[in-house]
Amino acid sequence: MISTDSEHRGGAKSGHCPARAYRGELKPTWCAGCGDFGVMTALFRAVGAVGRPAHEIAFVSGIGCSGQIPGYSAAYGFNSLQGRALPIAQGIKIARPELLVLVVGGDGDGASIGGGYLPHAIRRNPDLTYLVVDSGGNGKTDGQFAATDPSARGGELQRGALEALENPILFALTYGANFVAQGLTADLDGLSKMIEDGIRYPGFAFINVKSPCLGCGDLEMQVLLQKAKMRKLSSMGHDSSDLERAIKIAREDGDSLHAGVFYRNPNPPATFGSKVKELKQRPAKAAAEAVG
Amino acid sequence: MQGLVIGLVGAEGDGIRATGQSLIGALAREGYFGLLSTRNGARPIGGESSCRLRAATTAVLNPGGAPDLVLVHNWDAYRSLAGELPIAAGTVVIHEERAGNPPATGPFWEVKPAAAVPAPFEELAEKSSGVQDAKVEIVLGMLSVWLGLSAKRVSGGIASRFPGLGAAALKGKQRAFSLGATYAENNPLPRDLKLDPLAAPAGDRRVADGNEMCARAALFSGCKFFSGHPITPATEAMLYLQREIGSYGGSFLEAEDATAGAAAALGASYAGIKSMTATSGPGFSLQTEVLGLASVAELPLVCLNVQRGGPATGMPTRQEQADLFAAAFSSHGDTVRPILAPTNAADSFDVTVEAFNIAEHYQTPVVVLSDQEIAQTKAIIEPIDPDRFDVVDRLEPTRAELKDYVRFEASESGISPISHPGVKGGNYLAAGFEHDERGTPTLNGEIHARMNRKRLSKLDPLKGRRDLFVSEGDPDAQIGLISWGNVAGIALEAARTALSQGIKVKILVPRLLYPVADEVYADFFKSLRRCVVVEQSHQGQLHKILRMWMSVPREFTSVSKSASNRISPLEIVQLIRAMEQPANDSFKSHYCDLLNVL
Repeated sequence: MISTDSEHRGGAKSGHCPARAYRGELKPTWCAGCGDFGVMTALFRAVGAVGRPAHEIAFVSGIGCSGQIPGYSAAYGFNSLQGRALPIAQGIKIARPELLVLVVGGDGDGASIGGGYLPHAIRRNPDLTYLVVDSGGNGKTDGQFAATDPSARGGELQRGALEALENPILFALTYGANFVAQGLTADLDGLSKMIEDGIRYPGFAFINVKSPCLGCGDLEMQVLLQKAKMRKLSSMGHDSSDLERAIKIAREDGDSLHAGVFYRNPNPPATFGSKVKELKQRPAKAAAEAVG
Repeated sequence: MQGLVIGLVGAEGDGIRATGQSLIGALAREGYFGLLSTRNGARPIGGESSCRLRAATTAVLNPGGAPDLVLVHNWDAYRSLAGELPIAAGTVVIHEERAGNPPATGPFWEVKPAAAVPAPFEELAEKSSGVQDAKVEIVLGMLSVWLGLSAKRVSGGIASRFPGLGAAALKGKQRAFSLGATYAENNPLPRDLKLDPLAAPAGDRRVADGNEMCARAALFSGCKFFSGHPITPATEAMLYLQREIGSYGGSFLEAEDATAGAAAALGASYAGIKSMTATSGPGFSLQTEVLGLASVAELPLVCLNVQRGGPATGMPTRQEQADLFAAAFSSHGDTVRPILAPTNAADSFDVTVEAFNIAEHYQTPVVVLSDQEIAQTKAIIEPIDPDRFDVVDRLEPTRAELKDYVRFEASESGISPISHPGVKGGNYLAAGFEHDERGTPTLNGEIHARMNRKRLSKLDPLKGRRDLFVSEGDPDAQIGLISWGNVAGIALEAARTALSQGIKVKILVPRLLYPVADEVYADFFKSLRRCVVVEQSHQGQLHKILRMWMSVPREFTSVSKSASNRISPLEIVQLIRAMEQPANDSFKSHYCDLLNVL
């Protein structure tokens, strides 16, 4: 079993590992050119940089294409239910704080059915990293409209949408998330670095990843659009400790696709795990005492 | 008297709950048995409320029938809660003097009580301490005399109920108690309702409800994680664990909704920790997708569903047994999940320990189907002997098995060793997606059939668990009852009464409701020509499930009432008498009249 009781996964046992050490044996069944390939590569690189052994990682997902990522890793995986990955992951993290817990899901998971779980994960602040693979559409069922911005998949498919869009970055910032970033599959190096930063951040880290999807439209065009609209926050001189500015930039996202860390609270508040640990500092009772 | 039922009814400030709880505490200290069920009107706090306290010299199986004594502080409160305390010809009613005379007829009672006598609760309270909040002590003083309880034991509870109270105020309360007692001495009841003295001194009994006993059992079983969302009438189980689980080395999460509650508990179970969630009907509807996932991922999870009147919001503070279909069938795909039902508060402990054992051994979600009556009724409980129980842990992979770990490996029992994150070599994918033995996702029909067979047939040995059934009565009887949950206590008492009257009857009480233990029922049915399932729902859900899985006796009938309608032991005795009659058309109409149903 695990010997370390260090809650934070950026802790003592880390040391660089090659990304392939986290790659499982199964071959992905994604469409050729799917953004999930890039997301997975960036993820494994980031996990490799942190260096925790695969058996100390619990990798939780919802459903759909991005939900398959845990199945392609050598870590422990839990491919669960649409939208419920966050509460499942929090249960794992609270039960075994020493694990590195990663959550991945699509924009349906994160912005639609599971959208209600995000504020609660944010206010609890468990030490886990949540990656939303945002294609802006329902790819698996033929590209129907989703809650998030579809502009990166081309204008053609936007006709007919009656609802306004949800802005996941703004959503996370407004609810008080302490680490909020957006990555693009067109910038894998940037993406894997920000995932690594998210993992190392002591608390809940939210990362939205714009990812092309064949089911949502022309792949080539989506890649071109990503490249054309990409604006790196670092080159804009954005100071990631500036929450006001982060919110301002997030409101403009869509016209440009911003890549980088929007906000990183320089004074990370206590995590849920540390508070739970405090509650346990009471006189211990043996199970048999429960009979009364 | 060997036993009696006392009712208390009043409005906000009358201290109904406090009076009931003090009284049952005193009865426990004295060595009597008892059950206290409390009802509110529509308002969550304040407003009218009632207590029904059944006390006896021997174990009390149910809340009883018509009350022997009803204390009414306020007629409007009684009007709203009359269904809880229906007056019978033998009932003595004591009412607040200032409330005036009870109406001679009308909505208050259909039957004239033995007596309706005024008493100056309020006046004495004012006299004792100058305030009305001494009414509780006034009534306790009266009851201690009328019921023949030790004044010392009853009044002894006052100080412990108000640990922070100053000496002067406490003295006022003690004075109120004495005033009440003196009044009762000078004004004996028109009927003697003194409880018989006890033959033997009692052991260390305590007052607890079913929710508390489920929570205690969870801690006893080694549950180290609880998550749930507050919901009536399951909240107390959650609150108990919130308070206690840290001391047992566990963690607690108040989830944002019932789905998240079940999901987080399942996450903890996946992490190798015994875990539990608790909810009631509306939350249970939400949790079914998680239960389906637990079935396919073969993860242990205990889900306590404290049933209330349904569907949807239904009747949150009233008991019903209408979630059995939901517990058995409400997730898509082929699943069987074990369902256990306690019959009373003490039994809630045994059943919950069993639920954890089954969940861990069979790697399955288990539903504990309690109900509002069991969960919130305060009962006087005998001490629990911890040595009576085995605590089962899940099968872990050996070092050799971890060299080439196959999570869902085929085995004769269908049970495969289960690892958890943190175990080197045990890495696997848990998935809602169908998978093969290694956990690899698949769309292959043969594998799906094979894994379905594994997941379902591993539970077959449960059907042989005769220890999860209580059977009483004449084994060769031609008439029989089946009953479950809180109603089983009523049916059991009725069957015992009928047996004592020389009627040949038998009764079967399943604590395992699903999967249906066909052999146990087949044995029970052998001698029967007529069998009635007594339960509390409109459809008679256990009756329907048994018909689905079993060859049933020729006359196999449901007698069932919807939520909030109490069934009395006397009604069931009358039913048994009707069942004894030769087969004819009048049988059905007879018990339909009795229970005013169908």
